[in-house]
Amino acid sequence: MLKIDNLVAGYGKVKVLHGISIHVPKGKTVALIGSNGAGKTTTLRALSGMLKPESGSIVLGSKNITGLTSHDITRLGLAHSPEGRRVFSTLPVMDNLLLGAFPRLTGMRAKGDVDGDINRMFELFPRLKERKAQLAGTLSGGEQQMLAMARALMLNPDVLLLDEPSMGLSPRLVEEIFHTIERLKKATITMLLVEQFAAAALDVSDFGYVMENGHIRTSGEASALQNDPAVKAAYLGGGH
Amino acid sequence: MQILMQLIVSGISVGMIYGVIAFGYQLTFATSKTLNFGQGEALMLGALVGLTTVNFLIGNALGNFWAYILMLPVVLAFGALQGSVVEWLGVRPAMRAKSEAGWIMATIALGIIFKNLAENIWGRDALRFPSPLPEASLSIGGIRIQPMEIVVVLGAIVLMVVVELFNRYSIYGKAVVATSNDRDAAGLMGINTNRIITFSYALSSMSAAFAGVLVAPITLTGASMGAVLGLKAFAVAIIGGLSSGLGVVIGGLILGITETLTGYYISTGYKDVPGLLLLLIVLSLKPSGLFGKAAIKKV
Repeated sequence: MLKIDNLVAGYGKVKVLHGISIHVPKGKTVALIGSNGAGKTTTLRALSGMLKPESGSIVLGSKNITGLTSHDITRLGLAHSPEGRRVFSTLPVMDNLLLGAFPRLTGMRAKGDVDGDINRMFELFPRLKERKAQLAGTLSGGEQQMLAMARALMLNPDVLLLDEPSMGLSPRLVEEIFHTIERLKKATITMLLVEQFAAAALDVSDFGYVMENGHIRTSGEASALQNDPAVKAAYLGGGH
Repeated sequence: MQILMQLIVSGISVGMIYGVIAFGYQLTFATSKTLNFGQGEALMLGALVGLTTVNFLIGNALGNFWAYILMLPVVLAFGALQGSVVEWLGVRPAMRAKSEAGWIMATIALGIIFKNLAENIWGRDALRFPSPLPEASLSIGGIRIQPMEIVVVLGAIVLMVVVELFNRYSIYGKAVVATSNDRDAAGLMGINTNRIITFSYALSSMSAAFAGVLVAPITLTGASMGAVLGLKAFAVAIIGGLSSGLGVVIGGLILGITETLTGYYISTGYKDVPGLLLLLIVLSLKPSGLFGKAAIKKV
């Protein structure tokens, strides 16, 4: 569904990604793990057009989206729940969700049942329903994370990028977020998940990629990575 | 007391004009963190295009009132077009080059070009704008009010309410607010934020052009009418805060009323001073404006 080939990207003269290749098959969940500064967030930013790749190719479904603007990429079906949540703080929860469906409401993507999808989001995240008229900026961190995920899902995306959904949350909320990701996976949503909690991320994923200094160090089935001694020692052992 | 009330009433209509122009500054600042320093010239062009349109329609046997009504859509469309040109020529290149100040010089330069253009088309003299309503003042409780002054206040309120309703209830309006909140995140929603910024410039100049034809029947029109209004409205936008819709109305009224009061009680020669003093005081005590939210620049 999403095929990344030899992607090179960075900020100005500083290259962050040195030719990475990742394949996210339809209906599968892929975890991208690695230490801070390995280039995980940069990878997602390059995929959704927030950062222009220098070379390499990104193919979504059958369309080459390399170098397109982020609004065009979104309209083609790639949703990105960004690092730091980035909810629209002066707008109510409901408007944030509607904006997630912007391409569907403005004829740039198949409309489907927007109202029905909002109800499905409220079912997935009951707390958002209670707060639907509240300004997004007044939500707690956990609620904002739920809103960011729900907003991205409102696109009816072909692929969903999740950047550090557990960042800064209490252990109980982290568990809740991973539980939600499992539910999305059961609903066969295609996901690329960037996470600091490597063990938990591999638990909910089909495949995993380990990133180091802008390179893919190793990759494979999630269960195989969980048993790989090198991966275990560096990312799964004891930490977090 | 009677005189004081009279001065306040006169100050209100002037203040509302400042408010509308300042509102235009806010519109573009919200989405792009840039301003059109040629906003006064947008007002002047709107008024002069309005004048030519009205005269043409009156020449075709239309009464003043209907000529004025039919002129409005022409002027609003012209204002929107003029604002888009400013964004496209002056602001977009500077933003693409990530220039911090390029847009300042570019919009000032465009303002000067527009002023020269107007001087060559309409001349340098002040021109009379046919009033759509009787010019005789009404007397309400002993206070004299020109009918057009009431139209100024109502027109200004209608414009701001319409924009607010658009932002609040239409998906495109929400997209504008989203772009003001977080431009990158808005892009991730599939919103073309470049187009939103062009739109906000169009709307901003449209507001200025509308203010121009509101004020023109009371004052006179001419190529030089914009500069002072644009500058004072800028003071209003700073006093009221660049992020508060209510702020520009209050700021406009404060400036309008202090001007008429100073003009009467002190000297017309000093009427611009109190407003500008207020600007300096606000800048030193509350730089985000009386009603603005403090802008915290993350480092």
